[in-house]
Amino acid sequence: MARRVFVLGLDSMPPSVLYEGMDGGGFSYLKGIVEESLRYRLRTCHPPITVPAWMVMFTGKTPGELGIYGFRHRRPGEFGYYIVNSSYIKHPAIWDEAGGKGLWVGVYGVPPSYPPRPLHGFMVTDFTTPGPGKPYTFPPWLRRELERVAGPTVFDIVYRSSEKARVARELYRMLENHQRQVDYLVDRKRWDLFIYVEISVDRAHHAFWKYFDPSHPRYTEHPEYSRVIPELYSRIDRWFERLHKQLPGDTVIIIASDHGVKAMKGAFTINQWLIEQDYLKLTVNPEELKPGAELREDMIDWGRTIAWAWGGYYSRVFINLRGREKRGTVEPKYYEETLKQLRRDIERIRGPGGEQWRNIALQPGEVYPEVNGDPPDLMVYLDDLNWRPAGTLGWPSPYLPENDRGPDDAVHDWLGVYAVYDPEGTLGRGDAGMIDIHEVRHSLEEIIFSRR
Amino acid sequence: MAEKIPVHISRELYEKAKKFIEEQGGFQSVEELVEFLLQEALLAEEAGPAEMSREDEEKVKERLRALGYI
Repeated sequence: MARRVFVLGLDSMPPSVLYEGMDGGGFSYLKGIVEESLRYRLRTCHPPITVPAWMVMFTGKTPGELGIYGFRHRRPGEFGYYIVNSSYIKHPAIWDEAGGKGLWVGVYGVPPSYPPRPLHGFMVTDFTTPGPGKPYTFPPWLRRELERVAGPTVFDIVYRSSEKARVARELYRMLENHQRQVDYLVDRKRWDLFIYVEISVDRAHHAFWKYFDPSHPRYTEHPEYSRVIPELYSRIDRWFERLHKQLPGDTVIIIASDHGVKAMKGAFTINQWLIEQDYLKLTVNPEELKPGAELREDMIDWGRTIAWAWGGYYSRVFINLRGREKRGTVEPKYYEETLKQLRRDIERIRGPGGEQWRNIALQPGEVYPEVNGDPPDLMVYLDDLNWRPAGTLGWPSPYLPENDRGPDDAVHDWLGVYAVYDPEGTLGRGDAGMIDIHEVRHSLEEIIFSRR
Repeated sequence: MAEKIPVHISRELYEKAKKFIEEQGGFQSVEELVEFLLQEALLAEEAGPAEMSREDEEKVKERLRALGYI
Protein backbone atom coordinates (compact mmCIF):
# COMPACT_ATOMS: atom_id res chain seq x y z
CA MET A 1 0.00 0.00 0.00
CA ALA A 2 1.21 3.52 -0.84
CA ARG A 3 2.63 5.57 2.01
CA ARG A 4 0.80 8.71 2.85
CA VAL A 5 2.30 12.21 3.14
CA PHE A 6 0.75 14.83 5.42
CA VAL A 7 2.02 18.41 5.15
CA LEU A 8 1.32 20.66 8.13
CA GLY A 9 1.86 24.23 6.93
CA LEU A 10 2.33 26.74 9.76
CA ASP A 11 2.23 30.17 8.16
CA SER A 12 5.19 32.35 9.27
CA MET A 13 6.70 29.74 11.60
CA PRO A 14 10.39 30.65 12.16
CA PRO A 15 13.21 28.18 13.00
CA SER A 16 13.74 29.93 16.36
CA VAL A 17 10.33 28.70 17.50
CA LEU A 18 10.11 25.26 15.93
CA TYR A 19 13.76 24.21 16.11
CA GLU A 20 15.30 26.26 18.91
CA GLY A 21 12.64 26.07 21.60
CA MET A 22 11.39 29.66 21.58
CA ASP A 23 7.85 28.33 21.79
CA GLY A 24 6.91 29.45 25.30
CA GLY A 25 6.37 25.80 26.17
CA GLY A 26 3.64 25.44 23.54
CA PHE A 27 5.09 22.57 21.57
CA SER A 28 5.56 19.21 23.19
CA TYR A 29 4.52 16.44 20.80
CA LEU A 30 5.66 18.38 17.74
CA LYS A 31 8.99 18.98 19.43
CA GLY A 32 9.50 15.22 19.51
CA ILE A 33 8.52 14.94 15.83
CA VAL A 34 10.91 17.73 14.89
CA GLU A 35 13.77 16.15 16.86
CA GLU A 36 13.33 12.98 14.81
CA SER A 37 13.01 14.89 11.51
CA LEU A 38 15.35 15.96 8.77
CA ARG A 39 15.37 19.68 9.55
CA TYR A 40 16.02 22.37 6.96
CA ARG A 41 16.05 26.10 7.41
CA LEU A 42 13.95 27.32 4.55
CA ARG A 43 15.11 30.41 2.68
CA THR A 44 11.97 32.05 1.36
CA CYS A 45 11.43 33.96 -1.86
CA HIS A 46 11.48 37.60 -2.95
CA PRO A 47 9.18 38.98 -1.64
CA PRO A 48 8.89 37.06 1.66
CA ILE A 49 5.10 37.15 1.76
CA THR A 50 2.38 34.48 2.04
CA VAL A 51 1.28 35.23 -1.52
CA PRO A 52 3.34 34.19 -3.47
CA ALA A 53 5.49 32.09 -1.07
CA TRP A 54 3.22 29.05 -0.60
CA MET A 55 2.63 28.75 -4.33
CA VAL A 56 6.36 29.10 -4.97
CA MET A 57 6.82 26.15 -2.62
CA PHE A 58 4.17 23.97 -4.24
CA THR A 59 4.85 24.85 -7.90
CA GLY A 60 8.65 25.12 -7.62
CA LYS A 61 8.48 28.33 -9.68
CA THR A 62 9.81 31.73 -8.69
CA PRO A 63 7.44 34.67 -8.19
CA GLY A 64 8.79 36.03 -11.49
CA GLU A 65 7.85 32.85 -13.33
CA LEU A 66 4.46 32.84 -11.64
CA GLY A 67 4.06 36.57 -12.30
CA ILE A 68 2.95 37.07 -8.70
CA TYR A 69 4.67 39.65 -6.52
CA GLY A 70 2.16 39.94 -3.69
CA PHE A 71 -1.59 40.11 -3.32
CA ARG A 72 -2.05 43.24 -5.40
CA HIS A 73 -0.67 44.24 -8.77
CA ARG A 74 -0.82 47.23 -11.02
CA ARG A 75 -1.35 47.12 -14.75
CA PRO A 76 1.00 49.41 -16.70
CA GLY A 77 -0.53 52.85 -17.03
CA GLU A 78 -3.07 52.37 -14.27
CA PHE A 79 -2.86 53.77 -10.75
CA GLY A 80 -5.31 51.35 -9.12
CA TYR A 81 -4.62 47.71 -8.46
CA TYR A 82 -6.11 44.26 -8.90
CA ILE A 83 -5.92 41.27 -6.59
CA VAL A 84 -4.60 37.92 -7.75
CA ASN A 85 -6.47 34.67 -7.16
CA SER A 86 -5.94 31.01 -7.97
CA SER A 87 -6.74 31.48 -11.64
CA TYR A 88 -3.53 33.50 -12.02
CA ILE A 89 -1.45 30.43 -11.10
CA LYS A 90 -0.60 28.97 -14.49
CA HIS A 91 1.95 26.38 -13.39
CA PRO A 92 0.81 23.01 -12.02
CA ALA A 93 1.11 22.59 -8.27
CA ILE A 94 2.35 19.42 -6.60
CA TRP A 95 -1.27 18.31 -6.07
CA ASP A 96 -1.96 18.62 -9.81
CA GLU A 97 1.03 16.44 -10.60
CA ALA A 98 0.19 13.93 -7.86
CA GLY A 99 -3.43 13.76 -9.04
CA GLY A 100 -2.25 13.25 -12.61
CA LYS A 101 -0.29 10.22 -11.42
CA GLY A 102 -3.42 8.75 -9.88
CA LEU A 103 -2.78 9.77 -6.28
CA TRP A 104 -5.58 11.19 -4.18
CA VAL A 105 -4.90 14.66 -2.91
CA GLY A 106 -6.40 16.92 -0.25
CA VAL A 107 -5.62 20.63 -0.17
CA TYR A 108 -6.76 22.84 2.70
CA GLY A 109 -6.15 26.57 3.11
CA VAL A 110 -3.24 27.08 0.70
CA PRO A 111 -3.09 30.75 -0.40
CA PRO A 112 -4.26 31.68 -2.96
CA SER A 113 -6.56 28.78 -3.86
CA TYR A 114 -9.83 30.66 -4.38
CA PRO A 115 -11.70 30.03 -6.65
CA PRO A 116 -11.28 26.26 -6.09
CA ARG A 117 -10.12 24.23 -9.07
CA PRO A 118 -10.98 20.62 -9.90
CA LEU A 119 -8.35 18.17 -8.70
CA HIS A 120 -8.03 14.45 -8.05
CA GLY A 121 -9.35 14.68 -4.52
CA PHE A 122 -10.69 17.63 -2.58
CA MET A 123 -9.87 21.25 -1.86
CA VAL A 124 -10.94 23.84 0.68
CA THR A 125 -9.84 27.35 -0.22
CA ASP A 126 -7.93 29.87 1.89
CA PHE A 127 -8.27 33.22 3.64
CA THR A 128 -8.53 35.08 0.32
CA THR A 129 -12.01 33.58 -0.20
CA PRO A 130 -14.49 36.49 -0.46
CA GLY A 131 -16.90 34.86 2.00
CA PRO A 132 -18.53 31.64 3.18
CA GLY A 133 -21.41 32.12 0.72
CA LYS A 134 -19.06 31.50 -2.19
CA PRO A 135 -18.20 28.11 -3.70
CA TYR A 136 -15.05 27.47 -1.67
CA THR A 137 -14.64 23.72 -1.99
CA PHE A 138 -14.00 21.13 -4.62
CA PRO A 139 -16.16 19.20 -5.08
CA PRO A 140 -18.76 21.93 -4.49
CA TRP A 141 -20.96 19.80 -2.22
CA LEU A 142 -18.09 19.25 0.21
CA ARG A 143 -18.91 22.66 1.66
CA ARG A 144 -22.20 21.38 3.11
CA GLU A 145 -20.46 18.41 4.70
CA LEU A 146 -17.88 20.65 6.36
CA GLU A 147 -20.45 23.11 7.63
CA ARG A 148 -22.43 20.24 9.12
CA VAL A 149 -19.34 19.09 10.99
CA ALA A 150 -17.83 22.42 12.07
CA GLY A 151 -20.38 25.17 11.45
CA PRO A 152 -19.73 28.09 9.09
CA THR A 153 -16.19 28.11 7.78
CA VAL A 154 -13.98 30.80 9.32
CA PHE A 155 -11.53 32.03 6.71
CA ASP A 156 -9.75 34.69 8.72
CA ILE A 157 -10.00 37.19 11.55
CA VAL A 158 -9.35 40.92 11.80
CA TYR A 159 -6.27 40.97 13.98
CA ARG A 160 -5.22 44.62 13.63
CA SER A 161 -7.21 45.68 16.60
CA SER A 162 -6.57 46.94 20.09
CA GLU A 163 -9.24 44.56 21.37
CA LYS A 164 -6.68 41.88 22.06
CA ALA A 165 -8.90 39.63 24.15
CA ARG A 166 -11.39 39.43 21.28
CA VAL A 167 -8.60 38.75 18.77
CA ALA A 168 -7.37 35.87 20.94
CA ARG A 169 -10.86 34.35 21.22
CA GLU A 170 -11.40 34.60 17.47
CA LEU A 171 -8.00 33.07 16.77
CA TYR A 172 -8.80 30.02 18.89
CA ARG A 173 -12.25 29.74 17.32
CA MET A 174 -10.82 29.87 13.80
CA LEU A 175 -8.16 27.30 14.63
CA GLU A 176 -10.73 24.92 16.11
CA ASN A 177 -12.99 25.38 13.08
CA HIS A 178 -10.14 24.44 10.74
CA GLN A 179 -9.01 21.53 12.88
CA ARG A 180 -12.49 20.02 13.02
CA GLN A 181 -12.76 20.26 9.25
CA VAL A 182 -9.33 18.75 8.71
CA ASP A 183 -10.15 15.93 11.17
CA TYR A 184 -13.25 15.15 9.14
CA LEU A 185 -11.41 15.22 5.81
CA VAL A 186 -8.51 13.13 7.08
CA ASP A 187 -10.88 10.54 8.49
CA ARG A 188 -13.60 10.40 5.84
CA LYS A 189 -11.93 11.17 2.53
CA ARG A 190 -9.51 9.28 0.41
CA TRP A 191 -6.06 10.86 0.25
CA ASP A 192 -2.42 9.99 -0.35
CA LEU A 193 -1.15 13.56 -0.03
CA PHE A 194 -2.81 16.04 2.34
CA ILE A 195 -1.61 19.65 2.50
CA TYR A 196 -3.03 21.80 5.31
CA VAL A 197 -1.92 25.41 5.79
CA GLU A 198 -2.95 27.03 9.07
CA ILE A 199 -3.08 30.82 8.85
CA SER A 200 -3.87 31.48 12.54
CA VAL A 201 -0.18 31.08 13.39
CA ASP A 202 0.69 34.12 11.27
CA ARG A 203 -2.21 36.12 12.69
CA ALA A 204 -1.16 35.31 16.26
CA HIS A 205 2.41 36.37 15.49
CA HIS A 206 1.32 39.72 14.07
CA ALA A 207 -1.15 40.45 16.86
CA PHE A 208 0.84 39.26 19.88
CA TRP A 209 4.57 39.15 19.03
CA LYS A 210 5.48 42.09 21.24
CA TYR A 211 3.95 40.24 24.20
CA PHE A 212 5.91 37.11 23.35
CA ASP A 213 9.39 38.02 22.15
CA PRO A 214 11.55 39.61 24.90
CA SER A 215 13.86 41.05 22.22
CA HIS A 216 10.99 43.10 20.74
CA PRO A 217 11.76 46.84 21.14
CA ARG A 218 8.30 47.32 22.68
CA TYR A 219 8.20 44.04 24.59
CA THR A 220 5.44 44.02 27.18
CA GLU A 221 4.90 41.26 29.67
CA HIS A 222 1.13 40.76 30.03
CA PRO A 223 -0.61 38.12 32.16
CA GLU A 224 -3.09 37.27 29.39
CA TYR A 225 -1.65 38.40 26.04
CA SER A 226 1.80 36.92 26.63
CA ARG A 227 0.14 33.49 26.84
CA VAL A 228 -1.73 33.70 23.51
CA ILE A 229 1.03 32.55 21.15
CA PRO A 230 2.14 29.62 23.39
CA GLU A 231 -1.52 28.68 23.87
CA LEU A 232 -2.10 28.65 20.12
CA TYR A 233 0.99 26.49 19.62
CA SER A 234 -0.25 24.20 22.38
CA ARG A 235 -3.66 23.80 20.74
CA ILE A 236 -1.98 22.88 17.47
CA ASP A 237 0.30 20.48 19.32
CA ARG A 238 -2.47 18.64 21.18
CA TRP A 239 -4.64 18.44 18.08
CA PHE A 240 -1.79 17.14 15.95
CA GLU A 241 -0.90 14.47 18.48
CA ARG A 242 -4.45 13.12 18.32
CA LEU A 243 -4.51 13.27 14.53
CA HIS A 244 -1.09 11.69 14.10
CA LYS A 245 -2.06 8.70 16.19
CA GLN A 246 -4.93 7.99 13.81
CA LEU A 247 -2.74 8.00 10.71
CA PRO A 248 -1.05 4.86 9.37
CA GLY A 249 2.23 4.41 11.22
CA ASP A 250 4.39 4.92 8.14
CA THR A 251 2.85 8.27 7.13
CA VAL A 252 5.52 10.84 6.28
CA ILE A 253 4.91 14.12 8.14
CA ILE A 254 6.22 17.40 6.78
CA ILE A 255 6.10 20.63 8.77
CA ALA A 256 6.71 23.71 6.65
CA SER A 257 6.34 27.47 6.68
CA ASP A 258 6.31 30.08 3.95
CA HIS A 259 8.57 32.60 5.75
CA GLY A 260 9.67 33.51 9.24
CA VAL A 261 8.73 36.35 11.55
CA LYS A 262 10.51 38.90 13.73
CA ALA A 263 9.84 42.04 15.72
CA MET A 264 8.76 45.11 13.78
CA LYS A 265 11.01 48.00 14.81
CA GLY A 266 8.73 50.58 13.25
CA ALA A 267 7.32 51.84 9.97
CA PHE A 268 8.97 54.18 7.47
CA THR A 269 6.83 56.44 5.31
CA ILE A 270 8.28 55.68 1.92
CA ASN A 271 6.13 58.12 -0.08
CA GLN A 272 6.92 60.97 2.32
CA TRP A 273 10.58 60.15 1.80
CA LEU A 274 10.11 60.19 -2.00
CA ILE A 275 8.53 63.65 -1.61
CA GLU A 276 11.47 64.85 0.49
CA GLN A 277 13.87 63.55 -2.12
CA ASP A 278 11.93 65.27 -4.98
CA TYR A 279 11.00 62.00 -6.67
CA LEU A 280 7.30 62.48 -5.91
CA LYS A 281 5.44 65.77 -6.32
CA LEU A 282 1.95 66.46 -5.08
CA THR A 283 -0.69 68.92 -6.19
CA VAL A 284 -1.60 69.44 -2.54
CA ASN A 285 0.47 70.63 0.40
CA PRO A 286 1.74 67.42 2.07
CA GLU A 287 1.94 69.22 5.40
CA GLU A 288 -1.80 69.82 5.37
CA LEU A 289 -2.66 66.13 5.01
CA LYS A 290 -4.02 64.21 7.97
CA PRO A 291 -1.84 61.39 9.34
CA GLY A 292 -2.58 58.19 7.44
CA ALA A 293 -3.85 59.92 4.27
CA GLU A 294 -3.80 57.62 1.26
CA LEU A 295 -1.79 58.63 -1.80
CA ARG A 296 -4.46 59.16 -4.45
CA GLU A 297 -4.00 59.46 -8.21
CA ASP A 298 -5.50 62.96 -8.27
CA MET A 299 -3.09 64.10 -5.56
CA ILE A 300 0.00 63.45 -7.68
CA ASP A 301 1.54 66.13 -9.86
CA TRP A 302 2.25 63.67 -12.64
CA GLY A 303 4.07 66.13 -14.87
CA ARG A 304 6.80 66.51 -12.22
CA THR A 305 6.78 63.06 -10.59
CA ILE A 306 9.56 60.53 -11.15
CA ALA A 307 8.42 57.71 -8.84
CA TRP A 308 5.82 56.63 -6.29
CA ALA A 309 5.53 53.63 -4.02
CA TRP A 310 3.31 51.13 -2.27
CA GLY A 311 3.77 50.16 1.34
CA GLY A 312 3.17 46.74 2.86
CA TYR A 313 5.52 44.03 4.08
CA TYR A 314 7.85 45.32 1.39
CA SER A 315 7.72 48.38 -0.79
CA ARG A 316 7.08 48.35 -4.48
CA VAL A 317 8.37 51.42 -6.30
CA PHE A 318 7.11 52.48 -9.71
CA ILE A 319 8.88 54.79 -12.13
CA ASN A 320 6.68 57.30 -13.95
CA LEU A 321 7.95 56.02 -17.27
CA ARG A 322 6.96 57.77 -20.47
CA GLY A 323 5.19 55.45 -22.90
CA ARG A 324 4.04 53.17 -20.09
CA GLU A 325 2.29 55.52 -17.67
CA LYS A 326 -0.53 57.83 -18.67
CA ARG A 327 1.46 60.96 -17.85
CA GLY A 328 4.96 59.51 -17.82
CA THR A 329 7.87 61.90 -17.39
CA VAL A 330 10.94 59.65 -17.34
CA GLU A 331 12.24 59.05 -20.85
CA PRO A 332 12.90 55.34 -21.52
CA LYS A 333 16.57 56.13 -22.24
CA TYR A 334 16.91 57.47 -18.69
CA TYR A 335 15.02 54.58 -17.06
CA GLU A 336 18.03 52.54 -15.94
CA GLU A 337 19.94 55.62 -14.80
CA THR A 338 16.92 56.82 -12.78
CA LEU A 339 16.59 53.40 -11.15
CA LYS A 340 20.28 53.35 -10.28
CA GLN A 341 20.09 56.76 -8.63
CA LEU A 342 16.92 55.83 -6.75
CA ARG A 343 18.53 52.61 -5.54
CA ARG A 344 21.57 54.49 -4.29
CA ASP A 345 19.31 56.93 -2.45
CA ILE A 346 17.22 54.13 -0.92
CA GLU A 347 20.35 52.30 0.18
CA ARG A 348 21.46 55.46 1.97
CA ILE A 349 18.29 55.76 4.11
CA ARG A 350 19.27 55.62 7.75
CA GLY A 351 17.39 54.93 10.96
CA PRO A 352 15.80 57.54 13.25
CA GLY A 353 19.02 57.88 15.28
CA GLY A 354 21.19 58.10 12.15
CA GLU A 355 22.10 54.43 12.43
CA GLN A 356 23.06 52.45 9.36
CA TRP A 357 20.25 50.39 7.83
CA ARG A 358 20.66 47.34 5.63
CA ASN A 359 18.33 48.44 2.82
CA ILE A 360 17.88 46.29 -0.24
CA ALA A 361 16.46 47.57 -3.52
CA LEU A 362 16.18 45.02 -6.32
CA GLN A 363 15.01 45.00 -9.89
CA PRO A 364 12.84 41.94 -10.57
CA GLY A 365 15.09 40.90 -13.47
CA GLU A 366 17.99 40.49 -11.05
CA VAL A 367 16.29 37.91 -8.85
CA TYR A 368 14.09 35.89 -11.20
CA PRO A 369 14.99 33.85 -14.28
CA GLU A 370 11.75 35.09 -15.90
CA VAL A 371 9.68 38.16 -15.14
CA ASN A 372 6.02 37.70 -16.02
CA GLY A 373 2.87 39.54 -15.07
CA ASP A 374 2.97 43.06 -13.68
CA PRO A 375 6.16 43.51 -11.64
CA PRO A 376 7.18 46.73 -9.86
CA ASP A 377 10.28 48.60 -11.03
CA LEU A 378 11.97 48.17 -7.67
CA MET A 379 11.38 45.83 -4.73
CA VAL A 380 12.51 47.47 -1.52
CA TYR A 381 13.26 46.01 1.92
CA LEU A 382 14.13 48.48 4.67
CA ASP A 383 16.78 47.54 7.23
CA ASP A 384 16.62 43.88 6.22
CA LEU A 385 12.81 43.88 6.77
CA ASN A 386 13.02 45.26 10.31
CA TRP A 387 11.18 48.43 9.29
CA ARG A 388 7.87 48.17 7.49
CA PRO A 389 7.37 50.54 4.54
CA ALA A 390 4.23 52.67 4.99
CA GLY A 391 2.63 54.14 1.88
CA THR A 392 0.45 56.69 3.64
CA LEU A 393 1.12 60.42 4.08
CA GLY A 394 0.56 63.24 6.55
CA TRP A 395 2.85 61.99 9.30
CA PRO A 396 5.00 64.40 11.31
CA SER A 397 8.04 62.13 10.88
CA PRO A 398 9.01 59.48 8.35
CA TYR A 399 9.68 57.10 11.26
CA LEU A 400 6.54 55.71 12.88
CA PRO A 401 6.80 53.72 16.09
CA GLU A 402 3.77 51.66 15.04
CA ASN A 403 2.31 50.45 11.79
CA ASP A 404 0.28 53.01 9.81
CA ARG A 405 -2.73 50.70 9.37
CA GLY A 406 -3.48 49.46 12.84
CA PRO A 407 -1.55 47.55 15.51
CA ASP A 408 0.96 45.05 14.19
CA ASP A 409 3.88 43.72 16.21
CA ALA A 410 5.76 41.71 13.62
CA VAL A 411 7.35 41.76 10.20
CA HIS A 412 8.34 38.83 8.03
CA ASP A 413 11.76 37.25 8.06
CA TRP A 414 13.77 35.39 5.44
CA LEU A 415 13.97 32.02 7.17
CA GLY A 416 11.13 29.57 7.62
CA VAL A 417 11.12 25.82 8.30
CA TYR A 418 10.93 22.59 6.34
CA ALA A 419 11.10 19.46 8.49
CA VAL A 420 10.55 15.95 7.14
CA TYR A 421 9.62 13.21 9.58
CA ASP A 422 9.92 9.73 8.15
CA PRO A 423 8.96 7.17 10.81
CA GLU A 424 10.87 4.50 8.87
CA GLY A 425 14.04 6.59 9.04
CA THR A 426 14.93 6.19 5.37
CA LEU A 427 15.06 9.93 4.74
CA GLY A 428 17.47 10.63 7.56
CA ARG A 429 17.20 13.01 10.48
CA GLY A 430 19.03 15.91 12.09
CA ASP A 431 20.01 19.35 10.85
CA ALA A 432 20.23 19.38 7.08
CA GLY A 433 21.25 22.99 6.45
CA MET A 434 19.46 25.37 4.16
CA ILE A 435 16.84 24.69 1.50
CA ASP A 436 15.58 27.27 -0.92
CA ILE A 437 11.78 27.53 -1.03
CA HIS A 438 11.89 26.89 -4.80
CA GLU A 439 13.59 23.53 -4.12
CA VAL A 440 10.85 22.23 -1.83
CA ARG A 441 8.73 21.11 -4.76
CA HIS A 442 11.52 18.81 -5.92
CA SER A 443 12.00 17.46 -2.41
CA LEU A 444 8.26 16.76 -2.15
CA GLU A 445 8.31 14.98 -5.50
CA GLU A 446 11.11 12.73 -4.31
CA ILE A 447 9.26 11.91 -1.12
CA ILE A 448 5.86 11.39 -2.71
CA PHE A 449 6.69 9.72 -6.02
CA SER A 450 9.83 7.73 -5.37
CA ARG A 451 8.47 5.82 -2.41
CA ARG A 452 5.65 3.92 -4.07
CA MET B 1 -32.14 17.73 -26.04
CA ALA B 2 -28.36 17.75 -25.82
CA GLU B 3 -26.54 15.00 -27.65
CA LYS B 4 -25.43 12.15 -25.36
CA ILE B 5 -22.20 10.21 -25.61
CA PRO B 6 -21.21 7.07 -23.68
CA VAL B 7 -18.70 7.27 -20.80
CA HIS B 8 -17.25 4.16 -19.18
CA ILE B 9 -17.01 3.89 -15.40
CA SER B 10 -16.01 0.95 -13.24
CA ARG B 11 -18.68 -1.68 -12.54
CA GLU B 12 -18.08 -1.32 -8.82
CA LEU B 13 -18.78 2.42 -8.87
CA TYR B 14 -21.80 1.89 -11.11
CA GLU B 15 -23.30 -0.61 -8.66
CA LYS B 16 -22.67 1.77 -5.75
CA ALA B 17 -24.35 4.62 -7.63
CA LYS B 18 -27.31 2.40 -8.52
CA LYS B 19 -27.71 1.38 -4.88
CA PHE B 20 -27.45 5.03 -3.81
CA ILE B 21 -30.27 6.00 -6.20
CA GLU B 22 -32.49 3.13 -5.05
CA GLU B 23 -32.00 4.09 -1.42
CA GLN B 24 -31.91 7.88 -1.64
CA GLY B 25 -34.08 8.62 -4.67
CA GLY B 26 -33.78 11.99 -6.35
CA PHE B 27 -32.36 10.62 -9.58
CA GLN B 28 -33.93 8.46 -12.25
CA SER B 29 -30.74 6.76 -13.38
CA VAL B 30 -27.03 6.45 -12.83
CA GLU B 31 -26.59 8.46 -16.01
CA GLU B 32 -28.58 11.34 -14.52
CA LEU B 33 -26.59 11.20 -11.28
CA VAL B 34 -23.27 11.19 -13.13
CA GLU B 35 -24.33 14.11 -15.31
CA PHE B 36 -25.47 16.10 -12.25
CA LEU B 37 -22.29 15.45 -10.29
CA LEU B 38 -20.04 16.31 -13.20
CA GLN B 39 -21.91 19.53 -13.80
CA GLU B 40 -21.61 20.46 -10.13
CA ALA B 41 -17.95 19.57 -10.08
CA LEU B 42 -17.19 21.72 -13.09
CA LEU B 43 -19.38 24.62 -11.97
CA ALA B 44 -16.64 26.33 -10.03
CA GLU B 45 -14.26 25.99 -12.96
CA GLU B 46 -16.82 27.38 -15.43
CA ALA B 47 -17.76 30.19 -13.07
CA GLY B 48 -14.14 30.98 -12.21
CA PRO B 49 -13.25 33.88 -14.46
CA ALA B 50 -9.71 35.18 -14.78
CA GLU B 51 -10.87 38.08 -12.61
CA MET B 52 -13.22 37.84 -9.66
CA SER B 53 -16.43 39.86 -9.80
CA ARG B 54 -15.98 43.51 -8.85
CA GLU B 55 -18.00 42.94 -5.68
CA ASP B 56 -15.91 39.94 -4.64
CA GLU B 57 -12.68 41.73 -5.42
CA GLU B 58 -13.74 44.69 -3.27
CA LYS B 59 -14.52 42.33 -0.39
CA VAL B 60 -11.08 40.77 -0.71
CA LYS B 61 -9.36 44.17 -0.99
CA GLU B 62 -11.13 45.33 2.14
CA ARG B 63 -10.01 42.20 3.99
CA LEU B 64 -6.42 42.49 2.76
CA ARG B 65 -6.33 46.14 3.82
CA ALA B 66 -7.56 45.16 7.28
CA LEU B 67 -4.89 42.46 7.37
CA GLY B 68 -2.19 44.94 6.40
CA TYR B 69 -1.16 43.24 3.19
CA ILE B 70 -2.09 46.30 1.13
